[in-house]
Formats: sequence, C-alpha cells, structure tokens
Amino acid sequence: MSTEPQGQAQQGMPIEKALALAHQHWDAGQADQAERLCQQVLAVWPGQADALHLMGLMAHAYGNLDLAIEHLRKACQSPRTPAIYFSNLAEMCRRRGLFADAEQAGRRAVALDPSLSACWNNLGIILQEEGKLEESLSCLERVVLLQPNNAEGHNNLGNTLKRLGRLEQARLRYEAAIKLAPNYAEAYSNLSNLLNDLGYLDDAVAMARRAIDANPRLSDAYINAAAVEVGRHRYEDALRWIEALLAYSPMHSGGLVVKALALKNLERLSEALNVAQLAVSGAPDSSEALNALGEILQELGRTDEALDAYERASKGTGFAIEKAIVNRGVALMERGDKAPALVELDRALVAYPRSASAWHARVDLKTYKAGDPEISRMAALLGAGGLESRDDRMALNYSLAKAWMDVGEADRAFSYLNEGSRMKRGTFDYDPKASDAWMKSIGDHFPAEILERLAGGGAKSELPVFVMGMPRSGTTLVEQILASHPKVHGAGELRFLGQVAGSKGPYPQMLDSLTPETATELGRAYLAEVEPLAQGKARLVDKMPSNFMFAGLAKLILPQARIIHVRRNPVDNCLSCYSRLFSKEQLFTYDLAELGLFYRSYERLMDHWRAVLPPDRFIETRYEDMVANQEAESRRLVDFIGLPWSKACLQFEKTARIVKTASVNQVRKPIYKTSVDRWKAFSGQLGPLLDALGIAAPEA
Amino acid sequence: MDMKEFELHLRGLLAAYRHQEAEALIRPHLASGSGPIVLWLLLAQALRGQARVAEAAPIQQMLVDALPGDLSMRFDLSETLLALGDFDRGWREYQYRYNLPHTTRLERKVQRSRWDGRQIPGQTLLIHDEQGYGDTFQFLRMVPWAKERSGGNVILEINHELHSIAKRMGGFDAITVRGELPPRFDVYCEMMSLPMAMGLKLSDLPGKIPYLSPDPARVDYWRKYLAGYAKPLVAVVWAGRPTHANDANRSMTLETIAPLSVPGVTLLSIQKGSGEGAALNPPAGMNLFSLSPQIRDFEDTAAILSVVDLLISVDSSPVHLAGALDRPAWVMLPRLPDWRWLLNRDDTPWYPSVRLFRQNKPQDWSDVVERVAKELRLFTQRYKSANK
Repeated sequence: MSTEPQGQAQQGMPIEKALALAHQHWDAGQADQAERLCQQVLAVWPGQADALHLMGLMAHAYGNLDLAIEHLRKACQSPRTPAIYFSNLAEMCRRRGLFADAEQAGRRAVALDPSLSACWNNLGIILQEEGKLEESLSCLERVVLLQPNNAEGHNNLGNTLKRLGRLEQARLRYEAAIKLAPNYAEAYSNLSNLLNDLGYLDDAVAMARRAIDANPRLSDAYINAAAVEVGRHRYEDALRWIEALLAYSPMHSGGLVVKALALKNLERLSEALNVAQLAVSGAPDSSEALNALGEILQELGRTDEALDAYERASKGTGFAIEKAIVNRGVALMERGDKAPALVELDRALVAYPRSASAWHARVDLKTYKAGDPEISRMAALLGAGGLESRDDRMALNYSLAKAWMDVGEADRAFSYLNEGSRMKRGTFDYDPKASDAWMKSIGDHFPAEILERLAGGGAKSELPVFVMGMPRSGTTLVEQILASHPKVHGAGELRFLGQVAGSKGPYPQMLDSLTPETATELGRAYLAEVEPLAQGKARLVDKMPSNFMFAGLAKLILPQARIIHVRRNPVDNCLSCYSRLFSKEQLFTYDLAELGLFYRSYERLMDHWRAVLPPDRFIETRYEDMVANQEAESRRLVDFIGLPWSKACLQFEKTARIVKTASVNQVRKPIYKTSVDRWKAFSGQLGPLLDALGIAAPEA
Repeated sequence: MDMKEFELHLRGLLAAYRHQEAEALIRPHLASGSGPIVLWLLLAQALRGQARVAEAAPIQQMLVDALPGDLSMRFDLSETLLALGDFDRGWREYQYRYNLPHTTRLERKVQRSRWDGRQIPGQTLLIHDEQGYGDTFQFLRMVPWAKERSGGNVILEINHELHSIAKRMGGFDAITVRGELPPRFDVYCEMMSLPMAMGLKLSDLPGKIPYLSPDPARVDYWRKYLAGYAKPLVAVVWAGRPTHANDANRSMTLETIAPLSVPGVTLLSIQKGSGEGAALNPPAGMNLFSLSPQIRDFEDTAAILSVVDLLISVDSSPVHLAGALDRPAWVMLPRLPDWRWLLNRDDTPWYPSVRLFRQNKPQDWSDVVERVAKELRLFTQRYKSANK
C-alpha cells in the first residue's frame, strides 16, 4: 500500500504528480484531499488550467454552478486549454441559461478536437435548446456514430428528433438508449412524453412510472404523467402526480404550470390563478408559466390581461411560444376581433408553419372555396414527412373536414371527419349504454309528485335563467340574444348546477331523500356561486347545455328560476356536434351511432321534463324558428324571463362580450340560416346516425 | 383537536412506545379507506412498533405510490420489505439510505458510475464499506461473489479496524484502507449496494461458511489465556454502539443479563465501548470475568469467539463476526428488530450457527433473558455430559 502522506503534496512534488493525485482522489470521492492538492498547485502557479478545471468540476458536483463557471472560464484562458475544458464550460453555461457563451465554448471545443464525442454531445444539446435543430441533429448523429453504445447520445438525439417532429425516429433513439442503459430514467421519461404525443396514453403513463421508479426525483416524469392525464380529462389524477412532485419540490415551475391548468379544467379558477401567478413569479420569462396564466385569465373573462400574458409568453423562453400566439388569436376571436385574430394566427403560422392548432383555429375564421391553396397546405401536413403527433393530426383532420364541408365535398369532408373522430374516440373511455341507463333513471327518480312533496322548499330568486339542450343546438345564440338585453348578464357555461346536484350523494338517487330544507340549502349554494358574477343585473343566464340533466332539480331548488330548452333538427344538431373537435370534454359526439343513441336518451328525458315542469317556468324554443323569425322568438323569450322588450336583443352580434364555446364564430354573424337542413347534403355519410335516430335518409 | 395537534399527540404516543393507543386513535379517521397521508404514515409506524410488519407493508407501499419522490418513505418501505424477505424490491428501495435528512452528507461523491451487476472484463471495480462494523462483516461474503460475477479486478476498500480480517478472507485483487487513495478504478459499488446490483435472493444465503477466519497466533494466545477458566465459556455482550439509531431498543444493562450466570458456566465480557466498565464490577453473585480491557481489536474478538463455546449477545457486531466464523451465537432481539433478522423465526439464513431469541413485549427483556438462561442451563448440561 502507498505510504505517502495522503492528499498532501510533498515538498517539491512535481505539479504533474500533484494534479494526477488530485484527480485520483476526486475520482474516488475524496474531495478534501483533491481540493487541498489543487490549492497547493494554484499557490505555486496561479491560473494553472488543470487545477482550475478540477476545482470547477468539484464546485459543480457540490451544487455551486456560478463558482464552477468562474473556475472554468479561468481554466479556458490558458493558451493550451484542451478541448474538453471548453466543452465542460459550455455545458455549465447551458445549465445556467447562458446560451451564447455556451455555444461559443462548445464550438471551440469541437474545433479543437473533432474526435471527442463528449464535445459534440454538449454542443448538440446547447443547439437543441437554442432551437437550432438541424445543426443539433448533425452534432448528435456524430455522437452516436463515434460511440454507438453511448446511451446519453441516443437519448439526446431522440430529443432533437422529437423537436423536429420526427417522432417515430425519436422513438427508436429512446428505445436504443434504454436498451443500452436499462435503468435510464430520463430516457423513459422522454419516451413517455413522446408516446403521449403519439397517442399511446396508457403506455405513456407506464413509461413515466418506470422513469420515476428508476429515479424518484425526476420531475419531468411527473409532469409528463400529469400531462397525459390532463389530455384525457382526468384532472384529479393529474393533480395527484403534481402533488407528488410538489411534495419534494414545492416551487417547481413546470409542476406549478400543470397544476394550474388542471385546476382550471376543474373550474377551480381562483386556485388556478394563484398557482399560475406563483409559477410566473418563480419563472418570469417562462412561456409555459405565462401561457398558463393567460389561459386562466381568459377563462375568468379577464381578456385584456390574458392577451397581455400571451404576448409576454410569445416573447419568453421555453416550449409554449407557439401555443401562446395561437391562444392570443383565439382570445381575440372570442372577443369578436376577427381581423386581429387572423393577424395573430398568421403570425403563428409564419413562425411555426406546421402549427396544427393555428390552422385549426384559423379554419373557423373563413369560408373555404374550391381550389384554396390553404387546403393543400394543410393536407401536406398530414402526408409523408408531415405531422406525427396525434393531437396535431386530429386537429388537422377536423380542419380539413371543415374546409371541405365549406366547399361542399361531402365524401372528402367525411373521410377527414371520420378519421379525426376515430382518433379522438380512442383517447377516452365512454360507455354509451351506461350513459343511456343513467339518463333514463333520472326520470324514474323524478315523479310528478315530487314537486308537491317539496313545495315550499328552494331558494327564492328570479336571477337564474337556465338555457339548456344538446350542444350545438343554439344555446349560445339564445344566450347571446338574451345577454344583449341591458338587464341580463350572460355568464356562459357554468358547472355549478351539476356540482350542487352531486353534493348530497349520487344524483339522481339523492332526489329520493331530498327535503324542502335541503332544497333550500342547495338553491342557496347555487346562488352563492352565481350572484357575484351577475354584475348587478336582474337576470343571469347559465347556458351549460348539459344542465338538461338537472332541469327538474333546478325547479326544486330554485322554484322561481326560468328554464329555456333549445331544440334543433336532430340530424342537423348531431351533424354539427360530430363535425367539431370540442375544447372541453364531450364524450358522446365522436361516434355517429353513440351520438344518435345519446340524442334519443336526451329526447326521452326532455319529454319527461315537458310533462312534469310547469309552463310558466319551462319553455322551449326551436333553433329553426329563431332563424326564421328572430324578432318574434326573441320577444317571446324576453317576455318569458319577465323583462320588458329591448331592441338591443335584435343586434346581438354587436354585443361586446366573450363567447367561449364551439359556436364562437357563428354568433358574430347576424343569423345563420345556412345551418338549417344542412344535413341533407351529407345524408349519404350519416347512415349510423340516421339508424340510431330512426330517421330515413331522403331520396337522392 | 386540529390535525396538527392530533399529529403531535400521536407522535408523542409513538415515542413513548404506546403504539396500540396510537393505532386505536388513528383507525376511526381512516375507516373509510381514505384520509390524510400523515395519518397513514403514523398508522404504519404504530403497526411496525407492534412488530405487525406485514400489516404495515401495504400501507407503506401505498404511501410510496402516492408520493414516489419521498425518499424517506422509500427507505422505510425497504426496511419493511427486507424484514418480510422481499429481497428483490427491498434492496432496490434500500438504495435511498443516503437520501435521509441525517444521511445525505454521508454519501460519497464517487466520480465513476455504480456497478450494475454486469460483466466488466478488464475493468476494475472498487467496493467500499459503509458505516457499521456488523454490516461490513455480514456483507463481506459478497465481495468474492462480485469478483466472480463481474469478471473484473476487484479492489476492496475497508475501514482500518477490519482491514486485517478482511485481507485474510481474500477473494479480491487488492485491498485499501478507507481514507487512503485507492488504486485507479472504473466502476464502484457500496458494499451494501452489492445485493441490489447482484439481485441477492434469500436462497443465495448463506454461501460458503465460514468465510472469515481468526489469526492463528491470536487464537493460540487466547486459548492459553482462557485455559484456567471452568468450561463452558460463554462470551457476553449486552450493549451496542450507543450512537446507533435503534440502540435504546437493542441494548440493555449488565444487571438485566445477570440471570445468565447459571451454575457451571463462566461468563466472559467481551463488551467494548462505554458499557465495558460495568463488567469490572458485576452484580453480586454473577460469575463474570471481563476480557474487555485486554481486547485490542477485532482480531482479539475473532480469536476469543473461536475459543469460547458460545456467544450470547444483543444485536451488535460480534454476532456477525461469530456468524461469519461459523461459531455458535445466541442473539437477543427487540420486539421490532433490524430487517436483517427477518420475522417470526429463531434461525437466520445469514448464519447457520446463530440462534435468535425475540422479545415478546417492547422494552421488556426479562422474558428473553429468562428463556436464554433456561436454554443455557440445557446447553451446560449437554456440554458437561459430552465432556465428561
């Protein structure tokens, strides 16, 4: 065994020997001895590059990145600095976000020694983060060429390929990395993210779990898992992943962003806003954080602030810039600012010509004619070398379907539509029979006598007006007309009635044990949510279409509330549902037969409400009548909600308010007669729907 | 009482070994099958405190599933799984032993990757020991296995006190003392990560026994030294290292083991550390001689264990040394012992020569000492009749 004193340069020990010893100590994890030797070298020779380099590596290992960069910068001032020192400096600058310095040092390193794969690797990931993807690709391809067994090289190459949209190639790289290093947590996490994009959701979650199993503190894996759950509307599951991440890293910016978005989707908007603001305060330039803040502000109706947050996001760092610009376009569209909306979406398409979400928002802003070159641009994105992410392909299929419907080419439109809906239907579980049985049971639990039994119960208020029906039946139009009245506030689609219904045990079983007292309590609970939104108006319109499930309950807990049921030709209505990719969950609209079955259940339930609810609180209007006879229908509705007539209701398209549902661009048009009997042009494609509805196709 | 106060109250009960009371208070809050994470955590502790480890396991598993990044919970789970004999998962979770609040600073930042159990022909593997002497004795057996499995050169780095015994064992290419600069190496593995790297199974145990041997010269010395004492000779240890986290549960006082002074037996103290002074002044009527002052190092302990007829000890390093030497030893274990002794058995797969005596009631040694004394009388009778 060595008898030399450990970690101490003997008097007169040559510098080379002291440095070699220092490295050996550090390799063995003996930091004290290594540092002492380096300090001794530097005392004799200040600025000695190797000693500074080693000090830099040690500072980094102990978490002191700034000091590490300082040491390495000095080490790189020697005339004979080796390539690897520049490369290490480059990597530390990258970690600090100093990309310009990082790139410069990285390029110097590969110029000095093009045979070192580590140098190409570091430069490759710097270029990747800078968005210089083609160059990054050639660096990282070189790494795996020089070192075919370098798992990190394969993983990093996968990341660049993914950012280039070459998802299947990226997948092969990640799989190669995992084969080489079966416990490689980052590769599992990246693969999880990729599988989510490709639409393999269960596999994506399983891979995130494997990543966490390999490294329980790999935060990206938690975020990837949560993103899958948000994508398939399982927000509570998403929150569980994020809480597990925040439990050990409470200010993790990416975690806070996903949490904020999940809360937003759960309609817990004030919590969502707090979390998003926290994320922004921790990462003020993060496009992800700013975009999330924008989405929540938009949901809260604070459009100007939302537009501002999107604008800041579009100039920030990270991966949500494209999304922020598109969101800005959509927000402008919802406000009715069609021209500026187009400008934003075109801005997105200039920067991101392959942005499916920009195209998807944009198709609603125009009516396509045969031969429009945009149609072939969109179609090219679905072809070879085009987009591979499932969400992107889904959005483009719907976009192209919309364009071809405008043109009037039914076959083409439906081939895209059927493909898009098939993809969407694969992202969630839905049991149409169970849904049918549940809707039937609502009527069974609401016999006519229940109104007598609970007479005298409920909260007395004339404020609420419920506008309900199928989605795409005209509820937005009715709300828009009523909200144009100076004494009416249109509150949009609110979830409160459903939440109240579920607060006393499962609905509809809870109806059996309802007492007048609890009915009052529930009514008050609903009012407590909506009164602050009413802006002092006499009526508040809650146009959640699915409230038709709770129409009877609404009468029990809010006996003075008005209920307006909007009806529309069943086939037109269903066709309109089927041709939309909804931003919020609608589980029954992505399969024609399921859609038809749902419509039948809905009709049956509405028949029941019509029979039991008193006509002074329950009224029906037909979309077709609204279109054909706008003023008369509008007067009838205004009269029903107990207000004097206002001319403003006839100019509803001028009303300056935000419309957030799928009907956004139609309500800005004075009236939309082209939507009546539209389905007949597509009857050849609607077989399963017509069968389910029991309607015969018209003679050709 | 709000949750914070409730939690404090429960923690107080657990610290006072009132595990059943704590359990009874927690149960109603979790009757629905869901409840605050902290209550599940405390329930698992209350169950473990009652040695109901199998009942604690699914709760701890659920906690880890809910908060996978909580590395303390993972380490707690590893102890439960290992105690239940689930080595596969247990050793993997055991890797988080350096991620606890009081252990993070102990981890060595070795600048090479950890060996993952694969073949590494032509490369050098550094295996270094960790904290406890007992751990090192117990896992030294795996060093030659690692040499065989890896097909590489193996350097063993070991603390100074165990150096000569480990050196005699062999089965590696070089040995170095902790703190010295080890020769160059390509990969490393902590000694207690070898089970994870190599996928150690219960059925792999005990391996070749004995795997350690005493120094023959020291054995000669101690054989002569002890020739004049009446046989059988029984070495005793009643306390472990006081800084061990579980020492209050595993250690006792010399008075507590006084009943072991059965007629015909010579008790020899080989206790080291703060307890050894007591042996110079044994309780009245206890036939105890102290060897403690003459024991210079583990070589002496190993030689004495090779000469005496039996070791009776609490859960401390001499037990492992006796087991590795294949010498008879009886271990007195607390109600909830360390994971390495498994549960509900009086033998151990690690050491064929070791027999276990488990506490029935937490903190109460009287019953254990009584059982051991009874067995010692039988042992003495058998010894005397065999050596007539």
